[in-house]
Amino acid sequence: MIVFPAIDLKDGQCVRLVQGKADDQTIYSSAPAEVARRFQQAGARWLHIVDLDGAFSGKPSNLKAIEAIADEVSIPFQVGGGLRRITDIQQLLQVGASRVIIGTRAVEGPDFIKKLLDEFGDERIVLGLDARNGKVAVHGWVETVELTALDLGRQMKELGIRTAVYTDVLRDGLLAGPNLEATRQAALHTGLSIIASGGVSSVEHIRSLKAMEADGVAGAIIGKALYEGNITVAQALEAAK
Amino acid sequence: MIAIIDYGVGNLASVQNAFRRVGYPSLVTDQPEQILGAEKVVLPGVGAFADGMTTLRKKGLTDVLYEVVEKEIPLLGICLGMQMLFSTSEEEGLHQGLDLIPGRVRRFSLSGAYKVPHMGWNQIRPAVPSRLFGDVPVDSYVYFVHSFYTEPQDSQVSSASTDYGIDFTCAIEKGNIFGVQFHPEKSSLVGLTVLRNFGELRP
Repeated sequence: MIVFPAIDLKDGQCVRLVQGKADDQTIYSSAPAEVARRFQQAGARWLHIVDLDGAFSGKPSNLKAIEAIADEVSIPFQVGGGLRRITDIQQLLQVGASRVIIGTRAVEGPDFIKKLLDEFGDERIVLGLDARNGKVAVHGWVETVELTALDLGRQMKELGIRTAVYTDVLRDGLLAGPNLEATRQAALHTGLSIIASGGVSSVEHIRSLKAMEADGVAGAIIGKALYEGNITVAQALEAAK
Repeated sequence: MIAIIDYGVGNLASVQNAFRRVGYPSLVTDQPEQILGAEKVVLPGVGAFADGMTTLRKKGLTDVLYEVVEKEIPLLGICLGMQMLFSTSEEEGLHQGLDLIPGRVRRFSLSGAYKVPHMGWNQIRPAVPSRLFGDVPVDSYVYFVHSFYTEPQDSQVSSASTDYGIDFTCAIEKGNIFGVQFHPEKSSLVGLTVLRNFGELRP
């Protein structure tokens, strides 16, 4: 299973929010590239980067910090947050992102996703499946739409999407463990390869997710727990082996 | 100075950054005199084989590459750059490559759990001896993104292999010609070691 240390960017800084709320923010570093380098040094093989300003505004706005990360590390990374236009996606891939995560824009219509898959290939496009009580959360998780995450996942799978980041919004930033059952259901019912996100904060959580590999759970994103010292990258990697 | 050949295949900054991190300045260029004046040459590449070859030919860079090899300047092909060193590729028809390494480039024909493209981290088994992998342990992980793999005529040129449904050649060495199918610039410390080894080579 793949472990993705997360770097959430706000105003060029590395922060964590609680349940995605913009007013509940802790700043961990003003040098995200340095954080990325430390994750690589600790053995991380992937990074998960979120442009929070982009997620809230719908317009990518931490490109400079992302470029600095790309310059600093030699591991693949995926980026999400506010990606609603082809040119923005092109720009990120150009800067060195290996994959981009599309959330809100996937809800707004399948045509855009089809176009992305045609243009960039299914290895570059990841679905951001953000769920609040089972329903899809959009626009920086500020709104919820009348569509279940499982339905969206199935639709996207049919279009050719292979991988999704499944986030239980209500678990994010609380260090209370991922929603294991919902994550498993997402994998089983969509057929997508699922990366679990939100609440992953201990070796036990990672082992539990790893036990669902056969169901289609392929990775775990760890954010706050790394910054708060609940778990190290090395411990997470060991548990995911 | 290491010359990274620019033939319009996207972002070369990550290759350049990786070399910089291991202490080797490089230059992204399509100028023959800069390429031929370099101590080492890197042929990067993403995208389709035929497009890559067409662009190289249009820019007159195929002849420059033959001259690089004749002058015994160490040459490293990365990903598509490695594939183009071969004689032919069956990517969308049959296309001629640089033919510096006799052999062909074939499409993965896999079933079940093995998805194409082969994308992600996978283990390599370096051959002994190897100038590029001398200090790279067996079963080190590196990062791949590809749908085609190389099949050299002479298995002796294979300097590392990887298992992805089949056992394929993921790196080659022949004289001063080197190739890696994976992306060393995305392969963390192992990738940097390979690039450092290339930088350190004495022809």
